[in-house]
Amino acid sequence: MPNLGELERSVMNVLWDAADPLSVREVQDALGDRDLAYTTVMTVLDRLGGKDMVDRERDGRAFRYVARMTRDAATSEVLHAALDASGDRTSALLHFARTVDPSEAAALRAVLAEIEAADDSA
Amino acid sequence: MTPFLLGLIGLALALPVPALLARARWTLRSPGAAIVLWQSLALAAILAMSGAGLATALWLVSGDHPSEWKVALHAAVLGFGVLVWARFWWSAWHSWRDTLAGRDRHRRLVDLLGEPHGLAPAVRILAEETPVAYCIPKRGDNRLVVSRGTIETLGDSSLDAVLEHERAHVRARHDLVLEGFTFLHRAFPRVLRTDAPLRQSQVMVELLADDAARRRTGDAALARAIVALAGSSTPAGALGAGSEAAVRLERIRRRDPRGDRLAALACYLISAVVLVVPTVLLAIPWMLHAWSELT
Repeated sequence: MPNLGELERSVMNVLWDAADPLSVREVQDALGDRDLAYTTVMTVLDRLGGKDMVDRERDGRAFRYVARMTRDAATSEVLHAALDASGDRTSALLHFARTVDPSEAAALRAVLAEIEAADDSA
Repeated sequence: MTPFLLGLIGLALALPVPALLARARWTLRSPGAAIVLWQSLALAAILAMSGAGLATALWLVSGDHPSEWKVALHAAVLGFGVLVWARFWWSAWHSWRDTLAGRDRHRRLVDLLGEPHGLAPAVRILAEETPVAYCIPKRGDNRLVVSRGTIETLGDSSLDAVLEHERAHVRARHDLVLEGFTFLHRAFPRVLRTDAPLRQSQVMVELLADDAARRRTGDAALARAIVALAGSSTPAGALGAGSEAAVRLERIRRRDPRGDRLAALACYLISAVVLVVPTVLLAIPWMLHAWSELT
């Protein structure tokens, strides 16, 4: 039994790959996991709805579910935030390193060579 | 005299002192102590300015029979002070809420897009060639995000160094340190504002996280990671202030524990001086004097 986060990811991928809004049954079939209960899939879809990731539309007596944003849009939002070099988001995400221009990169490599040499001799 | 002197000290601590200190290189030797120093400077500036306002307000009504306009001015000065404080906490609260909401949304997206890492539960791997490495801080539920490109660029030990660096950020709540300086930066009136404390503390938390990574993986692994990620070619829009990488490498290259301890000592000494001296020399005599006049 995969954990809830794992399930949310799989369900989201199903919705992202689908051309049209899907019913709970269709999501369940696409997941291809026989042990997965219908209600579990519905719970996961509701949770994703609560997280603003999924919209549902009425279709007769049931609901159909659709991803609120495309996979590409989600990816580009994450990358945009991750690569944002402006100082504004500094405290929201803590980055490992920012990129530098080529001449500075060469200077960095020179210092690195020194550090590696010192490490070898130690 | 006291209000004037306190105001002068407040101004000095708000502008020229941070400008001078930002140019000093020795503070980079002891990042932890340097953060304390920047925090002390900010606190001392706020205390001195608040003290100046309060002292002015009280001085206006210190005579036996203050005229009506003096009482009105007294109320105006006090009211202005209250307003400035209220505005500060209001904007701090708002900006903190925005930060949390932004992080929550980012974490949700990363959880849906990124693949978990087998060994470390907080790690998420994005299927992207662009090397990225960062953390999304949250107590008990943080994420360390790297991309495929990062993993392909780095060797195992360097990847360890990157993850340990980010873990150190999360552990030590470096986001709170930066958030605090961000509030301050916004709270100060534009003419009294300097971005030195925020910029400097950004560098200092990187150095602190680097120290944690070095203890785990050694100097060379971390240095290789910094050079690999800072020197990677990314879209032009992602180019940032890169001098940080040079400062970090320089700290790894120069091993001088004794000099580092001296620098830390100097930082703590200056912190104590800026916090204690104005209080002891000005505020306490003035309070005693005011007390003796009242009784």
